[in-house]
This record gives sequence, C-alpha cells and structure tokens, in this order.
Amino acid sequence: MDMDLDVPMHDAIEDQQLGPTLDEDRESANTGSGVEGTNTESVGQATGPLEIDEVEDLQDPDFKPGSSGIADQKSSKPLELTNSTIDQLDKWIEYLSKCQVLSEEEVARLCKMAVDVLQFEENVKPINVPVTICGDVHGQFHDLIELFKIGGPCPDTNYLFMGDYVDRGYYSVETVSLLVAMKVRYPRRITILRGNHESRQITQVYGFYDECLRKYGSASVWKMFTDLFDYFPITALVDNKIFCLHGGLSPMVETVDQVRELNRIQEVPHEGPMCDLLWSDPDDRGGWGISPRGAGFTFGQDISEQFNHTNDLSLIARAHQLVMEGYAWSHQQSVVTIFSAPNYCYRCGNQAAIMEVDENHNRQFLQYEPSIRPGEPTVSRKTPDYFL
Amino acid sequence: MGDDIRRKLILRQLDRANLTAGDELESENNLGELSSFKKPMGSQNQSVGDTGRSNKKTTWRQFFDHNECIGVQNRNLEFNVYYSLPKSVDARSIPIFVLHHGAGSSGLTFATLVQHVDSQLDGKCGFFTFDARGHGATRPIDPSKGLRYDRQSYNDDFVELLERFYCEHLIQFGETKLSLVLVGHSLGGSICTFSYMELPEHLRKRVLGVFMLDIVEEAATLALKNVYSFLSKTPNVFKNYQEAIDWSVRRGFSKNRCSAEVAVPACFRQVSSGKVVRITNLKDFEKYWDSWFVGLSQRFVSLPTNKLLLLAGNENLDKELIIGQMQGKYQLVVFQDSGHFIQEDTPVKTAITLVDFWRRNDSKKIVIKTNWKSKKFTGQ
Repeated sequence: MDMDLDVPMHDAIEDQQLGPTLDEDRESANTGSGVEGTNTESVGQATGPLEIDEVEDLQDPDFKPGSSGIADQKSSKPLELTNSTIDQLDKWIEYLSKCQVLSEEEVARLCKMAVDVLQFEENVKPINVPVTICGDVHGQFHDLIELFKIGGPCPDTNYLFMGDYVDRGYYSVETVSLLVAMKVRYPRRITILRGNHESRQITQVYGFYDECLRKYGSASVWKMFTDLFDYFPITALVDNKIFCLHGGLSPMVETVDQVRELNRIQEVPHEGPMCDLLWSDPDDRGGWGISPRGAGFTFGQDISEQFNHTNDLSLIARAHQLVMEGYAWSHQQSVVTIFSAPNYCYRCGNQAAIMEVDENHNRQFLQYEPSIRPGEPTVSRKTPDYFL
Repeated sequence: MGDDIRRKLILRQLDRANLTAGDELESENNLGELSSFKKPMGSQNQSVGDTGRSNKKTTWRQFFDHNECIGVQNRNLEFNVYYSLPKSVDARSIPIFVLHHGAGSSGLTFATLVQHVDSQLDGKCGFFTFDARGHGATRPIDPSKGLRYDRQSYNDDFVELLERFYCEHLIQFGETKLSLVLVGHSLGGSICTFSYMELPEHLRKRVLGVFMLDIVEEAATLALKNVYSFLSKTPNVFKNYQEAIDWSVRRGFSKNRCSAEVAVPACFRQVSSGKVVRITNLKDFEKYWDSWFVGLSQRFVSLPTNKLLLLAGNENLDKELIIGQMQGKYQLVVFQDSGHFIQEDTPVKTAITLVDFWRRNDSKKIVIKTNWKSKKFTGQ
C-alpha cells in the first residue's frame, strides 16, 4: 500500500564521474551547431520583475507556458504507480544518482508523470514530522548527494526542499531530474517547493537554459522542466506549526488560508502575492520595505511575529538568501533561513545546512562542507574582450 | 491584470520611440525617423559634435538642451558638460539623472539613453553629464601642469561639478522634489559608487540610488591585463568621422548605429589634414589603472542606498557581488544581447530599466499596499 516505505536508494549514491570542467563546457557550448541561434529571442533578462521581458514573450509563441506538451493530457486523478513504473523510476534514480542525464524522451515521460503528482498538491502542502528541511541547491549535484549522506537516504528520511534547484551550478539538469524522479517515486516522502529560480525568465540568465542547450542540443528539455515548475507547490506547513516557503511574507497575504486561494499554476508573476512568497526577505528594519532585489518586499520582526501569531505558527522556515553558516535565525527565532549549497558557485566559501525536525518538534541543524571530489570544476572566468 | 497594463505601456513606449526591441539590436534607422528629438536650444559655446562634420548632422543638440564649458580653476580643468533641465515641475517627484562615462568614452555615450528616458517621463526629469578629465572636449586650463588620472581625482571632479550644477540649476525646482540617480558606465560606475560617500550631506540625501552599467571589479581587473592587446587592435586615426563610426559599428563595438553616430565622433578630434584622431590614449593612464576598480564590488554591495547593476552578455559576477546578490543587497539585470556599451547598444531597454529603478525606489511615491487588517503597517 505504502510503496514509499521500501527500497531505499542509498546504494545509488556512490562516487560519481565528474563532468568536464567549466572551460570545456563553455567550449562545447560554443561549437554546438545551431544551439546559439536558439537564444536570439532572449532580448533582456532581469532578476527582478522587469516588464521589458514581456515584450519578448509576445514575440515568441514558442516560449509560451505549456508549449512543451507535458501537461496536454493531464490525468483527473493522482498518478498511481505500477510495478513497471516503479521499476522504471528506480532505474532512472539509480542512473541520475551517478550524475548522468536522462534522454530527452525519458525526461518527457518523467515530467508527464510529475504533472500528475504535483497538480494535486495544494498551494500549502501539509507535511508531518519528522522531516528534514533544505534550502537552495542550485545545480550543485555533488553537494546534493552529500546532503543525502548527511540527512539520510530519501525514503528513509522525509525531505522538504524549499526551491532553487537549478541555475548557477553546473549540474542543474541532473539535480532537478533526480529530485523530480524521487518526487514521483516517493510522493509522500519528499516535497519540492518552487523557488524564484524555477522560472522561465530567470533560468535564461543564470544557466539552466544554457545547460539544457549544451546537454541536449535544443531547448525542449528546458521547456518541459519550466512547464513542470508551474505545478510545484509554493508553500508547505509542517504539523500546522512551521510555515515553509522559498522567499518570505507578502503584504497581500495575511493568513495561510489566503495562500490556498491563489492560482499558482503559472509563470512566477512580476508582482503580487505569489511573487512575494518566492522573493521576499526578512529585514532588521520593521514593517514592510521595498526589496533591494527589485522584486518582493522586506519584512520586519513585527510582521513575522504578527503572521506567526495570526496563523498560530511557531516558525517561518525559508531559503533564498546565502548565509555563511548554512542557516541563520532572524527576528528572534520567528524566522530561520536555510541554505544548502556549500561554497556557493564554487567560490563563496559558505557552509551549507539542513534542518531536522523530529517527532517532538525538536530542531537540529546539520552543517556540511562541499563534497570532496577529484576534478572539481575549476572556476576560471573568461576575460572580457572589452576595455573599460 | 497589472501586468497587462504594464505590457501595453511598454509597447506604447516602444512605438513612440519608433523602435522595437528587435530594432535595437542593429538599428539602421535614419536619425531623421526618430520622432522625439528635442528642439535645439540656446547654447553658449561651440560644441564638439558640430565641428568638422559635413554629411549627417548628429549633434549633442538632438539629445541635450545645453552644452557648456565650466572652468574649475582649482582643478586646472575646463569641463565640457551637457545638461537638460526638467520641462515641467508639475510632478510630486522629479528625477535628475547624473551620468558618468567610462574610460576612453565621453558624455555623449549617454545621448540616446537620455533621449529615451526623457520621452518616457515626458520631460519631467533632468540630465547632467560631462567629459571626464582626459576625455572628449574637457581640457586642462594650463596644459603645462600635469594632470592625475587616479580614481580620487575623478571622484573629486564629479563631486565638484555635481555640487555646482545642483546649486546653480536644480535648487530652483524645490529641493524636496528632487531625486538624484547616479548612473555610471564601466569606470564611471566605480566613480559613482565611490563618490557617493564623498558627496556633501545635503546632496547625498537627495541621491535615490546608484545605477552601474557593465562593471564587475574582478572582470575589469582581468581586462586591465589585456589592455595592450586590445589597444593594438584599435586604430587611433581615421580618414574622417564617418569612417570612425563605420569601423566601430562594423567591429561590433557599437551595436546601434544611432548611438554610434553621436557617441563615436565625441571621442575624436579633427586635425589639419582632415583626419580624425582619437582623443584619449588609454596608455597614458597606465600608472593609474590599479586605482580605478580596487574595492569596487565590496563598496557597491555595502552602499547605504538603492543599487542596480546592469550587465551585458553573460552574468559574470565576482565573489563579493555573488554574495551580495544572494543576500538581496542590490538588483541585478542582465541584457544578454548587448555589448559593453549598454547605454549605446540598447538605449530603449536601458531607459525602461532606469525609469523603473527610479519609480520603484522613490520614497516620495512609495505606498506599499497591504490587506493586513490586524495592524496598520506602512512602508519605511
């Protein structure tokens, strides 16, 4: 009945072959024929909600949400795993755990299954303890494997990931493929929320789009995943006490019930409550503030305390900000930030952390360093060919 | 819904400018087709752009209302400045965009950007820019005295000129209405960032934010190592202005001909033979290069004001900027289709970004809407 319980996946998590260095990656990107041309439509990209990008949306129907077709034949009831799909998923997970990519056709099948799991999840996904809560991963695949070593293999440990699986690191495809495969295989054991990087706009600037082109030779895998991102739940509620989300609070969301009323199946909007939940940051200043990021808001301790009081919560757990110790309290322990990408971008020198919440709601932080692997991609950056 | 309205607005803006985003890439439009040029206004001095150009007349007059020489005795410099004042004060808040160009460029690099910002704001804004020492038509008063080209000297020039401009031309519009936005390209970004803390208090409190165009400390420092190979591929003499423009467009240094028509000639002067010669020789500044970018990323991230970094091509942040961005300290925007001279290559999009930056951060206009009932919260 509860198929999730058996077949842990720990064996698959062994040492991996490493991919090419960044430089080689770049090189192959440059030589890939026809690949470059695909990107001509990206007129301008903003990390913040800049309306300019909409002009380009209008110009290219191909970039329209849904064009990948993964959600064309949605089921009316949640996916039921059969023995053969379980076999298939286990094989994919084993393969992906070795940092190898699925074929384009396999990604299509995986994403279709995932739509039929995720579309039935609520905007506020209820979760029971015990659970291990994780922050940004950003394509640092080997560190994700390290995370599972520290926190325990997936179906044995329940996981909640708070978004930002892709961009910046060199293995976004492997990272998001693995997490989605695990989600489909163990839907009650792992929850994957949406981060602000799970967006068509952002991924075109910060690497996921280029990585898909490089690894598949076309944008179709990128389209499938970004179409799938629209279905990711945006918040979770652990035992009605810990409210979990990627960014933070919104001046237009006073209660958890108001999150339930949102229509989340869409590209991350440029403004409004859904945007704020994925973009906002806590701040030392009280009240609401304009976010320096260009999207979302900053919120002060008064706001966090008010929200926790109104909704009878003990804690807001969120990710989104790099914190050097891997986790950081703010607002007198009303808010915790968790960041799970150690040595972010292979150069920031930060620790990573995950937060275990046990049956009795005790919290424990597990910190970890970058995984040790030979042949770590060297971060050598191209010297610009301009002058000043 | 809000998005739809915004979208329509943007399209209308693009329409008005007779450009589409696509055109911006390689605009072959004649300047005559652009619809929103200002009428030439009175100017006291002979202007750089006018001299020696026979065929196409693209001059500063189409972009700025005034071009003046400002002598600053104690700095031994006569600065070539361009500015336009607000056409209307009928607004709660008036942004003044103060723009500093990068090394080897001139104030007119901002010409087409200024034009598009002005049309988006219906003239309810002002602009101030100038040729920095060693550039364009700015000259030493006494050439026998040597000039320094370190960052501090550039900062001091910038602060002095801005203060003069503010006192002579801006105060009349009512200080409380004014917001200064410091916009710097490349080396100019470093100068805006480091000048911020050096501005006198009464000016600094009018500054709404710092907007840097395509400058990353680490990348710029790396680029300095390649200056010689860069310069060796860059001719300093052309038969005439048109050839200089054509070369620049052909080599991809300018991706937008409209901008190049006004920006490129300002970097050259005509000699008696009729040929044009590049004014700024970057090699002359070599002993000052080290001072230009050091500490920039850290300073930018920690500036106590609003900040936006607009990059061209690939996002190539250094460690300080990545950490700052991932902690939400500033806004990052990337235009992948632009070259290094973003303000010239993509003036429409840059103008939209700049106006958006001002609107979003203007404390005179911000009201944060909230539906929280239990307690009244307001913006900071």
